[in-house]
This record gives sequence, structure tokens and C-alpha cells, in this order.
Amino acid sequence: MRIVVAEARVPFVRDGAELHVQSLVTELRRRGHDAETVTLPFNGRKDELLDQACAWRMLNLSTSNARPIDAVIATRFPTWFARHPRKIVWLIHQHRAAYELFGTPYSDFTDSEPDTHLRRQIAALDSRMFGECERIVTNSRNTAKRIEQFNGVSARPLYHPPPLAGRLREGAYGDYILIVARLEPLKRIDLVIRAMAHVSSPVRLVVVGDGSQRMELEREAAALDLVHRVTFTGSLWGEPVADLYAGALGVVYAPFDEDYGYVTLESFLAGKPMITTTDAGGPLEFVRDGVNGFVCEPASASLAAAIDRLDTDRKLAERLGGAGRELAQTITWNGVIEQLLG
Amino acid sequence: MTPLHILILEAQVPFVHGGAEILVRELASALETRGHHAQVVSVPFIDAPKDEIFAGAEAWRLLDVTCAGSRAIDVVIATKFPTYFARHPRKVLWLVHQHRAAYELAGTRFSDFSHTPRDVALRRRLIATDTGVLRECVGHFTIARTVSDRMLKYNGIASEALYNPPKLAGRLHGGAYGDYVLTVTRLEHVKRVDLAIDAFQKTTSALRLLIAGDGSIRHDLAEYIERRGLSDRVMLLGRVDDDRLVELYAGCRAVLFAPYEEDYGYVTLEAFLSRKPVITARDSGGTLEFVSDGVNGYVCDPTPPALAAAVDRLGADAALAASLGERGHGVAADITWDNVVERLTEAASATHSGRAAL
Repeated sequence: MRIVVAEARVPFVRDGAELHVQSLVTELRRRGHDAETVTLPFNGRKDELLDQACAWRMLNLSTSNARPIDAVIATRFPTWFARHPRKIVWLIHQHRAAYELFGTPYSDFTDSEPDTHLRRQIAALDSRMFGECERIVTNSRNTAKRIEQFNGVSARPLYHPPPLAGRLREGAYGDYILIVARLEPLKRIDLVIRAMAHVSSPVRLVVVGDGSQRMELEREAAALDLVHRVTFTGSLWGEPVADLYAGALGVVYAPFDEDYGYVTLESFLAGKPMITTTDAGGPLEFVRDGVNGFVCEPASASLAAAIDRLDTDRKLAERLGGAGRELAQTITWNGVIEQLLG
Repeated sequence: MTPLHILILEAQVPFVHGGAEILVRELASALETRGHHAQVVSVPFIDAPKDEIFAGAEAWRLLDVTCAGSRAIDVVIATKFPTYFARHPRKVLWLVHQHRAAYELAGTRFSDFSHTPRDVALRRRLIATDTGVLRECVGHFTIARTVSDRMLKYNGIASEALYNPPKLAGRLHGGAYGDYVLTVTRLEHVKRVDLAIDAFQKTTSALRLLIAGDGSIRHDLAEYIERRGLSDRVMLLGRVDDDRLVELYAGCRAVLFAPYEEDYGYVTLEAFLSRKPVITARDSGGTLEFVSDGVNGYVCDPTPPALAAAVDRLGADAALAASLGERGHGVAADITWDNVVERLTEAASATHSGRAAL
């Protein structure tokens, strides 16, 4: 089949959604489909959201160069506004600021009348678009729960392995804890850095990623006198990231209500335990406290205690990581494309 | 030089991969190499049914390309219709082409616009809208003189042609002047591959015609060759990879490329960089900016006998092919990305500092 995978992306920013789309296209091609991405620039500004939805609506993707396109796979807001008789959604997320993030510090929507109106409008339009779709699946249970709650759509989660899966391997349980994330408020890197101030063991923190909070976070680390214990590597992709996973003692990931989160599975595939928080969303679908990692209160002292436990008991780190690996290895691409296309 | 954040605007035709797609990616990498931050931003372009072309233009108008997250975008570079509908205070135009079916192709067999009142009105509206939007640009450049002439004629806007080297520039090399003529093209009507095939029914030399490329009319062309009994002399190679293409160029006697009103055409420059003469037609557009009749190739009437005569001349005289090809090389070697990047960013910065002064 000729399939378009529809994507919306902020120029100059790379994130998990982009990797999801790329691996989907690769897997479709591997199964003999002719797949291509259609990517429109996205801008999260409130006053531009409806215009962008409208831009997608302008696109009739039924044909290209006089030949039919058989299906369109939409991924995140506002890709499902495109016109096509056979739309499938593999939900990464809706416009989160207008949905579950509303009322948290991570949303720019207030309870003013225009904002409330806009939020309702977006949810109503999304629901209408979902109604046009032939099939809707989600990337995680967490996102399935959201689409049920806000749009009344019941959808099954369809897990897929992280794009780094093929490169990840186990290695020594070294002297650092790893964090891999875009440096954005929602990822709560600041919480982890503050936790480091409470950690009594000599373990270090390595932060992989870049983003709008980079300077602020580096300043915070300096203010807490952690310059020698917290390293910022900037953006890294592929092999160097796999190397860092292989040598880590454990991985910490404490975002607020993450959709799915490749980091959990990446950590497990490298045989590393995962430290996360009770409000982290997606990671909680995989992390079991004391089984393959730790699920902590979202507080620096509680994260620090988990980090210290791993450092003082390396056998424990190894055992938790091993359990995680077994779980992560059950998630493969087998059957995923078939279930997606129906 | 201050590094700029630049978006290059592309009209994507899903599942079709052609010269314009390579052009924008090459431009992005040329900008990056020179220290800027450049990214390609695409919106699919759907031209059927005809009314959808306005929807596509509208989509560009609706998208905000002035910032990406919290980062300001300094410059956007528009390329094809309808990318120039994007809104940005520093929109620089490097025009590949407008919607050709509504411009110079209208009334030819290559256009779906006919002489009905409805189509004529649609064309007028499109050209008028284009003109307004094109005027918003702070710098007007095109990829070739043909394109500049067209914009002056239809939109009344003057521009400068900025040539760029073909993607394979660094890899192409000369070689033997072998026993075949090469055509490299997408297999679409407007490329007039049928004309090249017909010419080979008239040639007397032993030269064969090899056609590299794929497209929507491949099947029709295969039948066409068969029907004319040319199967042993004309071959459709399909899409070939870069390595093979470089060798095909290196080993050919000459390159034949006679499309109708081509915008620019990398094929001419690729042929010259491989030190091969180019046989083209006097209505082939962009090729004529480089090919001089009898100097580095032949400019023929767009008829099979005229093209056949040119093929036969080179078929009979490999030394002639070599000397024409050598002169072609001199023309192509002068075209660089440095110049393109400099002119495009200058145009943007001129307004940039102009604004700062205000």
C-alpha cells in the first residue's frame, strides 16, 4: 500500500515523536509498503493552533501526482485534520497544554474565558476528526486513557520498541546515573539535579539532551555546588547514547505525565534499573517498584534515596536491570504494523 | 557573519522524487556548511482536482513560520508554488517555478488547464494572487533565466537568476566517448522522451539511446519503443543509483535532453561536467542558457529528423564530441554554491539591518 505518515514538528527540534515516525516508516517499508512522511511545521503558540489545524484540513491527501494514496496514519495534533477517506490514528498525543496539562504549570492555557473556549473548541474538533478515522490506536495505556477521558474514544495501546533498540547492550554498572531527555520543563530535569544535592554516595549524574532550559539547569547545578557531579553532554544520537546507557549504574527519568517514553525501555534493554516517579505517566506502565526499578514520590529526597540504594547495592542494580530487560524484550515490531493497518 | 536560522520552504509531492527536492536539500547543506542553521519545511502539494491548488496555497498562508518554539526564524527561502504564500517579514524568493500548468504550459498538451471560461478564470485568479504574494518577498531570485523571464512576463516582477551546481558535481568525470547517447530524466510527458525515441528511428549511425529514470509513463514508453521496433537500439534503464549514473555519463558519446520549456535542468550541467556535448531543442528552455549550437552541443528544431542529424554527426566523429564536451566543461565549472548562499543571505540581511536602523 501507499501510505503517508503524517507528522507535525517544530523546526530545529528533535524529539521522540520524530523518532517514532521515522521508525514507523522504516518498518512499513520493510514490509513492502511504499511509505512516506508528510511533515508540516508546528508552532505551539495558542493563537496559532486553530490556524494550523486549518492548514492540515486544507490538505486533501487522497492522491499524489494522479495516483491514489491508500492510507494516512496520523500521529499527533493536528495531523488528523488532513482529509483522506482512510485515516488511521496512532496517537502520540493531542495538544497536551489544552488537555491533561491544563491547570498545571506546564500549560499556557489559563481559566480565562477565551482560553476555556479555545480548549473546548480544540477538544470538540479533535473528537470530530477522530470520528472520521477508520481506526485509532495509541502509543501507550496512558494516552489511551487520555483519549477516552477527553474525547470519549476507546482505543487500544499498541507498544513498539524504541528506535535505539538494536544498538543497546549491557555493560559495567559504572559510577554514574544517566538521564536522557529534552531539557524542557515537562521533563523535570531540575528535580533530578536537586536530588543530586541529597545523594550521599559519590555517584555522578550525566544529562544527555538539549533544550530551552539548558542554561538554567547548568546554573542550578552550579548554585548547588554540583558542577563536578553533574555533566551536560548536549544532544547525542545513536551509538554514543548506547555507550552511555551501557556504562550507567541506573537511569533516572522523572517527567510529568509522559505519554510513553522511550527512555524506560531503552534503560531496560541496556539492563539498567529505572528510577521514576509516581506521576511520571508512561514509564509506570513498565516500571515496578523493587522489581525492575524504583517508583518514588516526585521529591528530590525520595529520588536521592533510590539513587543511593543503587550505589550501595550493585547486585540489586543488576538484578533490577535484568528483570527490566526481560520485560522490554517482549516488546517488538512483530504484528504491530498488521494491527495498525487492520 | 552572524549565523542565521533559516527555513527553506518546499512543496512536497508525496512519492515523487525529483530535481526540486534535491535542490532544497543541497541548499540546506550549503547553508549549514557556511555556518548557518538551515532546515527544510515541506507541505504536500496536491494539484488534482484543480481547485485543490488554492487549498494548498491557503495551507502555507495559515502556517506560522516566523518562529520555531521559542526561537525566532530569521529568514525563509521560498522555492516553488505555493511555498511563497508563507508569511514572513524576511521572505526571500529563489523561484523554482510557479504552477506551470496555469502559466506557460496552459494550452499545451502538458497542462490540465483548457480554454474554458472556468479554467481561464481560475488561471487569471491564480496568476493575480501569485503576483501579490510574490511582491511580498524582500529579494527576488530564480534558479534560471527561463524562470526569471517567465516571472517578468506573467507577474511583472524582475529577478536575478542564481545558478547552482548539480548534486553530483564533485563526482562526475570524463571518460570514453562510447557507442551510446544518454538521456537522464523523469519519464513524464513534458520531458518529451517520445521525441528522443522518434529521433532514433531516423538515425543512421550505430549509436544506441539509453534512458535513465522512472516516472508515470514508463509503461507507455516501453510499449512505444516496442511498437516502433526499436527495442534493440533504445533502452529504458529505470531509476539508476548515483554510482551507475556517474559511469553512464562518463561513458556516453553525448547527452540528449530535449524537454519542453525545462526550468533549469541539471542534466545539461551534469553532461558538461562529464565533458560530454548536449543535444537539445530550441524550445527546451533552461538548457539553452548553457548550450550554444556548434560550441558545446547542438540546439535543434524539436523534430525527430533534426535531433537525428545531430546524433549522427556525433556518431560519425568521436573527436568532435570530445572537443564540444570539453568546452561545455568550462561553462559548468564556474557555477558554485558560494555565490548562491552569498546572494540569498545578503538579500535577507540587507533588510535585516535596514530594520535595525529603523
